[in-house]
Amino acid sequence: MIISRTLEAKLSSLYKAGKIVGGVYLGTGQEAFSASLGCCLDQDKDIFAPLIRDQAGRTGFGEPLIDATRTYLGSALGPMRGRDGNIHRGRPAERRPAMISHLGTSVSVVAGMLMARRMKGELAEVVGATCVGDGATSTGAFHEGLNLAAVEKLPIVVLVADNQFAYSTPRERQFACENLVDRARGYGVTGREVDATNLLECLAVVHEAVKAARNCEGPQMVVGKLLRLCGHGEHDDASYVAPELKDSNLGRDCLEIGIQQVVDEGLATSDEVNLWKREAAEEVQEAVANAQTDPAPDPYQDDWRAFSSKGINS
Amino acid sequence: MSVTYIDAIHQAQRELLAESDDVFLYGQDIGGFGGAFKATKGLLEEFPGRVMDSPISEDAMVGMAIGAAISGMRPIVEMQFADFSSIAFNQIANHAGTHYYRTGIPVPITVRLPCGGTPGSGPFHSQMVETLYAHYPGIIVATPATVSDAYHLLKESVKIDDPVVFCEHKFLYRWLKTSEIDPKPLPLGMARITRPGKHATVVTYSAMVHEAVRAADRLAKEGWEIEVVDLRSVKPLDMDTVIASVARTGRLLALGEGFPWGGVTAEVVSRVVAEGFHLLDAPPLRLNSKDTPIPYHPDLWAAHRPTPESILEKLRELLNL
Amino acid sequence: MPQLGESIAEAKIIRLNIAMGDSVIADQEIIEVETNKAMMGVTTLCGGTVIEIRAEEGVEYAVGSLLGILEATEEEISRTGAPTMGEQAESKLLDEGEEGNLHFRQTEQSYEEPKLVEPSVRGLPVPAGMKGAHYISPRMRARMNELGLREADISAIAGSGAGGRVTVADLEQFLEYISDWPDSAASPMRLAVADAMRRSWSRPLASVGLPVVLDPVLEHRSRQDPKPGLTLYVLRAFAIALSEQPATAGFLIGEKVVHPRAYDIGIAVQVEDGVVVPVLRNVDQLRVPELAEEYGQLVRQARNRKLTLEQAQGGIATVTNFGTFGLKWGTPIPLPNETLILGLAAGIKQPRWSEVVGAFVPVTETEICLTFDHRVVDGGGAGLLLQRIGTLLQSPEKL
Repeated sequence: MIISRTLEAKLSSLYKAGKIVGGVYLGTGQEAFSASLGCCLDQDKDIFAPLIRDQAGRTGFGEPLIDATRTYLGSALGPMRGRDGNIHRGRPAERRPAMISHLGTSVSVVAGMLMARRMKGELAEVVGATCVGDGATSTGAFHEGLNLAAVEKLPIVVLVADNQFAYSTPRERQFACENLVDRARGYGVTGREVDATNLLECLAVVHEAVKAARNCEGPQMVVGKLLRLCGHGEHDDASYVAPELKDSNLGRDCLEIGIQQVVDEGLATSDEVNLWKREAAEEVQEAVANAQTDPAPDPYQDDWRAFSSKGINS
Repeated sequence: MSVTYIDAIHQAQRELLAESDDVFLYGQDIGGFGGAFKATKGLLEEFPGRVMDSPISEDAMVGMAIGAAISGMRPIVEMQFADFSSIAFNQIANHAGTHYYRTGIPVPITVRLPCGGTPGSGPFHSQMVETLYAHYPGIIVATPATVSDAYHLLKESVKIDDPVVFCEHKFLYRWLKTSEIDPKPLPLGMARITRPGKHATVVTYSAMVHEAVRAADRLAKEGWEIEVVDLRSVKPLDMDTVIASVARTGRLLALGEGFPWGGVTAEVVSRVVAEGFHLLDAPPLRLNSKDTPIPYHPDLWAAHRPTPESILEKLRELLNL
Repeated sequence: MPQLGESIAEAKIIRLNIAMGDSVIADQEIIEVETNKAMMGVTTLCGGTVIEIRAEEGVEYAVGSLLGILEATEEEISRTGAPTMGEQAESKLLDEGEEGNLHFRQTEQSYEEPKLVEPSVRGLPVPAGMKGAHYISPRMRARMNELGLREADISAIAGSGAGGRVTVADLEQFLEYISDWPDSAASPMRLAVADAMRRSWSRPLASVGLPVVLDPVLEHRSRQDPKPGLTLYVLRAFAIALSEQPATAGFLIGEKVVHPRAYDIGIAVQVEDGVVVPVLRNVDQLRVPELAEEYGQLVRQARNRKLTLEQAQGGIATVTNFGTFGLKWGTPIPLPNETLILGLAAGIKQPRWSEVVGAFVPVTETEICLTFDHRVVDGGGAGLLLQRIGTLLQSPEKL
């Protein structure tokens, strides 16, 4: 979480300095929820398809920071080689699919990855996971994907970060049900709800969900309630968020709460936390510095091919 | 012993399932029911667990196939009608089509689309959609016109690592027969000269190949020899064969069953004009369906799309220029 | 056999529920069939009596096959609109091995005579209704370039394409036609003249002629030593007349008429297989004796094909003497870069009425003709110029 917050702060300042072209999307306020998933999953065999505010989850799942900085800074050496940017990055061969902008589409892709494993007899103990926001639950793709995953009884965990807004659209304009978790019943999946500002709660509930999926109890939906603490992207100042919301419980910073919980529970001392912050700052600095010296993609050297098969030309 | 176009597709899928455990089929009503057109009849019994009935979720069907493909499988997704693939358009064009370019990992999915009109099928069970998918980069679009091509191209499509949209013309399913499948296949990306000629070239694909041949046969009685080129796939487009044909004849009619704005016929004409302007003795012509949704009444339907009569008229126009 | 569903091409007879002679009503299910999708029934289109059954149980029949015949009353037929034997010809069945198609249900009656399509000029820059108009397609161009042909070369070919244009097929046919005629290669001189004349002809040219009495010039000439050429006198008169009306020799480029800077006149000299035109300079400023030497020099050089490029350039008009061949008149063609050409015909002794003497007197008369680019000069201007030349030639001592 600390790494994620530190990295994102850095990305934001790079963006504002004009060093990043295109969009920057942060996960401020969502770190506890996302990191819980990333850490509860098994890096060595599970599947994780993150969305735009899942930096903490990615770090938790083992994505190296340099992948993030390289992709944002358009390095030719990053996982997308300059052909896609910011949060569209992924390494499909390493069980981290790269998202496309159309929300909800990752659910069916993770479902397919799980089905492949089932058909090969390699599904035992494997869990697939993806994250969506409250807005994405409105898409047909989400509906079709979750329904299909439920029909196929797949071990998929879908985290829904209900952060009150989809860009500027408040939840009243996004769905009519009182609680998103009620939808789980409609799909025939298990639904859980959690206060996503509370790190320890997140860890407990997400852990339960992942365990249930791994235990072949079918798809799991976990709805986390929080407030998006940044703009939709760094180009957005989120002035439409009412101050009352920001002052409410929903608007609390999960990182601060998390740190407090960790110290209170005796899991670490304040000094250790500060050390983590310093180390995070150094790691981020290094990742940024290395990415900045990388070559940019060369349009004259690029092969400009969309087909992998040799000999197929348009 | 005769093999129909649908038999060829059935046989190809059966062999694909037998040859590799990575192949599986996903589509509505394809399991026990054997598919709306019986393309998968008996396959579930023969290959249990690998021919699955999907919910009515074209988006998720293709999304799932993408996920399975990047995990090492070779899924074949059967859409019940090409017209419904519009629901999956996003996953095909924006996800599957971009995946290799963006991530370096190819997506070997094959999406089978029953395309094309039959009398009375109406606006949403008759469409030709090859243009939409050919437009987006990264997608191969196959449009077989013969029984042998349906067999060979489907087998090749599944083996190719890139996403393939396989447009099967449902009119040809049972009406097109051959005595046996040609043992020597042409590779994907090569067009075929279905009928050699010297006065004009008709470039076309799918069911229209047969209509063009009928029109050509009638014109032969008047001494005109019309060459018919079957593209076999609209992407990749075999312009070498097309240009060579226009070099022989000097006159071009691009014929297609799709709607008239843009499309395969426009692409062929624009490429011939750009690459073979000096070969043209007359302006190249196009003949497509009318610019309206496909009508239901069989008489309206028959007038909506090119027929041997309308092709013949257009060829006369071309020959008289 | 009715069309029982999309993409159904045939069905198998499972059971016949009728026998010969049975009475049936409309919409009665009389035959059970099986398609590849389901069991279905074939129903009657009207009531009547079964008089023929062609279908057999257990056999497959293609859609459109005749399964049986009912006899029905006229009222029944008109009530239900059922098709009768006269109307409905049996569709041709599809053989094994043939590739079939629903559109092309062939029946003898349904084959239509092809509609005659008028040749269309849509898409071609050919004014409608213009026969023989020249649209040259890209393929035509490419073939012509290959063969070294120009548009003028194909004017011999009747076009069969839209608007009467010459198609590649017409061209190839013509080339084959002339291929067994005797031929010889055209010399470079021939080709050069051909090109120049073709370019010149792209303008609207007209000719006018004027009879001129030559006796004064002939008399003057006989008293000179050496004798200047007759053409030289005409050159001088031409140059003087032009210097008085420079616009007549103007050259039209777009919307501008470019006037002569200097009165340099060309002399057409016939050589083997062509014509060369050396240019005599400043003819308006020098008199016949002064010009004679250069004139003679140029003509000799031209005949020997030893003219330099500069010597053949820069003329503003040309004189051609075809009188040396005995010709009485002609319509010469100006050089492509000039507006005028003046032709000199043979001088012939003619009887002409003399008012002074009151009788016919012998006169050596010739006709001078002027061909001009009608875009720049009109008949009037041409006529005035010729008149002036004629007048000047009556006073040869001033030339």
